[in-house]
Amino acid sequence: MKTSARVHAAPAIPTLRTVLGNGLVILARPHPKSRSVALHLVLQAGAAFDPAGRSGLAAFAATLLDRGAGDLTAQEIASGFDRIGATFQAAARRDTLEVECRCLPDHLEEILGRLRLLTESPTFPEDEVGRARGLTLTMLAERAQDTAAVAEETLQGTLFPEGHAYHAPRLGRRDSVEAIGRADLERFRARLLRPRGAVLALAGAIGAGAATTIAARVFGDWENDARSAATSTSAAGRPLFPERPFFPDPPRPDRAIVVRRPIPGKTQSDLAIGFPGLRRNDPGLVPAMVFNCVLGEFGIGGRLGQEVREKAGLAYYAFSRFAPGLGPGPLVVRSGVTVDKVERAVALIDRTLAQVVRRGFRPAEVRDAKTSMSASVPREMETSVAAAATLAAAEFYGLGIDFPERLPGLIAAVTHRQVEAAARRHLTTGHQVQVIAGPEPP
Amino acid sequence: MSGRRPESAIRPRTARLDNGLTVLLHEMRHVPLVSVWCWYRVGSRDERPGLTGISHWAEHMNFKGTRTFPRDQIVRHVELAGGMWNGYTWFDVTTYFETVAAAALDEMLALEASRMTGCLYAPREVERERTVVISELQGGENDPRTYLEKEVAATALQAHPYRWPTIGYLSDLQAITRDDLYRHYRTYYIPNNAILVVAGDFESSKALALVRRRFGRLRPGPAPPAIRTVEPDQSGERRVRVRRPSGATYLDIAWHAPAATDPDFPAYLVLDGILAGGPSVNAWARGGGGPGKSSRLYRALVEGDLASEFFTSMIPTRHPYLYRILATLKEGVDPARVESAVQEEIGQLAKGDIDAADLERSKNQFLARDAMESESVTDVAHQIGFFETIASHRLWLDLARRVGAVRTADVARLARVRLDTARRTVGVLIPSDGAPPPPAGTTGGPHG
Repeated sequence: MKTSARVHAAPAIPTLRTVLGNGLVILARPHPKSRSVALHLVLQAGAAFDPAGRSGLAAFAATLLDRGAGDLTAQEIASGFDRIGATFQAAARRDTLEVECRCLPDHLEEILGRLRLLTESPTFPEDEVGRARGLTLTMLAERAQDTAAVAEETLQGTLFPEGHAYHAPRLGRRDSVEAIGRADLERFRARLLRPRGAVLALAGAIGAGAATTIAARVFGDWENDARSAATSTSAAGRPLFPERPFFPDPPRPDRAIVVRRPIPGKTQSDLAIGFPGLRRNDPGLVPAMVFNCVLGEFGIGGRLGQEVREKAGLAYYAFSRFAPGLGPGPLVVRSGVTVDKVERAVALIDRTLAQVVRRGFRPAEVRDAKTSMSASVPREMETSVAAAATLAAAEFYGLGIDFPERLPGLIAAVTHRQVEAAARRHLTTGHQVQVIAGPEPP
Repeated sequence: MSGRRPESAIRPRTARLDNGLTVLLHEMRHVPLVSVWCWYRVGSRDERPGLTGISHWAEHMNFKGTRTFPRDQIVRHVELAGGMWNGYTWFDVTTYFETVAAAALDEMLALEASRMTGCLYAPREVERERTVVISELQGGENDPRTYLEKEVAATALQAHPYRWPTIGYLSDLQAITRDDLYRHYRTYYIPNNAILVVAGDFESSKALALVRRRFGRLRPGPAPPAIRTVEPDQSGERRVRVRRPSGATYLDIAWHAPAATDPDFPAYLVLDGILAGGPSVNAWARGGGGPGKSSRLYRALVEGDLASEFFTSMIPTRHPYLYRILATLKEGVDPARVESAVQEEIGQLAKGDIDAADLERSKNQFLARDAMESESVTDVAHQIGFFETIASHRLWLDLARRVGAVRTADVARLARVRLDTARRTVGVLIPSDGAPPPPAGTTGGPHG
């Protein structure tokens, strides 16, 4: 059957970009059919900036932003959101602390004001700090029983050595979380919650100009704390991003490393295999995205899914993903496998990866992946929430807010040779880290 | 409130083909996308012991090749059109969808028409997929909350087929044959048991012509068997206690809840809004954000230092199911204290301790969430199809008005009459410190 796929540019909805005097970048993009507004604030304050001995601090702080700010108590803040049906979610990622709000358009100014208060002036009340510590410790205990979480965190801790910004788990460890106190949170606020380097994206039922005017009025006099400047680029090395820190490449293992993490009583094992990755502004980003799509995304998990799930029936899922960031986010191959099939699945994945390195991909595989990726851009920008998050990330990582519009063209320009070069660059077989988390084999 | 859905904003064009296929088309011209959903009135409710999980397994098989789309080509065609695709099986429904570039509409209709009657069920593919669905079951059972929810459902419901999990039991998945699967497919995958929904960038009259061309010649079949069983009234509290490797203790309290068509359904949504911030009625949307932090249960359980988090669940279903509250307990907290705190809050509602602001806040939360969860072509097509499959799409379109009409007295009556302790089932999962669990699907629960 003939396919009707074409390369589509994203719909030509203009995004208004404004830089305030304090450095905050405001992006505004209307959505013609939306009945709500999505706000996405990105701050350079993720887990990578957690101080030594305080891993989990950014995630801890994120849970406390709406638990007391300015003169408001946690209940006053919660009532303010719930009364009008607005939502507020804050989470620390690897590089960033991100806040997402949704509201109806009538409440935009009120929510923007609340967003500023919560990010600029959280008060971290003692009772809430204690509660957040308990919540985090419970989550850590749950994650210690979660085969997927254990596999991923062990992989990250093995790929990135002690001292690297990406070494520690995002939520921290039991001892580091127990050590976090109000003083740490207050230092975190002063050092990292600031307008310079931050991005606020608005999308949905708004006029771009009017929404920007309101946002500029609300955020315009947010001042950068004097203490924030000195610590913004703490890592050594040449900054790749203007105003962004540099996180170095981890050392390449001199051999393949296998780590087993037994979790008794579970019914399935999770497998994670890690390889060197790349930064978000790496010139090889788009070829690497195409390579990953062919390897572990297209269809039901790309070449990996075809071999492991579709042909061999060994797992419910098998896929790969890149996680490029300010630092070199790794290429990770993942699979969830029944206990008695782990060895077969590992051997099959190894064989599949070796074959990709040795023989490359079929032209049709690369062509299909490129076509699919290009054609999916409008869909990925369809909702206000997705558009706000995508635009904020493009701005934060220096890709440019027209990146979604340019992406189909960039993908089309990727050559078969570039994709195979990306495979050879990243699939350093013989030097990978492999983690198996789950019950002991029978 | 400007986010309120105008009465006329979503009004899909409805048609019924001669072979019984229901067609619902809703134009949304803001992006060059279409979302095609093909729904079947079949789910785990249509199974019986020995064949549990067969609807879900059949859904997997329906990605494994048809007479006109070879196995590897089904998903490929969708993704080449920039598509997102998936399928899911639940109590009342099985569905497949593609959200793709608008130009690929006809191709997606051809795919769904082929899936309706032309799937192959090759024996070799059946055996490959057996291990895949067993792996899916075991992955789910790794999660202690999923395990507890399954145990509680099987305890609260003693007769109705909603009592077993959609994924099925391990013994059944090991025993189901290719012929079982194919018989199931042929019984339920017929145009007169299906609903086709398309939302997005198209002209309805042209789209309907394409639908007629692709689906019009498919032959109808005998009406599938109806569900006869009605869950008997529960006349006393039930309890289930399980031990499982886990990082925390979990408490799951379930009460019998009405079907989506019941006049009390909107009042349940408002009640849940007051207790917990309101449930989503969109099973597909990824929105939400957890319970409202000004809700009564958040204050009692989380700020009361009894639970680290909690969720509530009120799923729109064809037959009566469950309203449930699931809490992750803080370390060292006795589950009985959490139980008491929950019942205390319900008791306050039963006494009529609800003011106008409570009611208004709950309704506003529902309306705002409804606006946020019906923005994309995918979400709108899902909601139209889901509600049409379990009852009628008009039920969804009318829900905002019915929620708006709920009164304080309605909520108090539900709390008093329906959420009493004699009609509840309480489940507790205690960490077992890593001792091996009994084999999946043959545990000591009432289904054992």
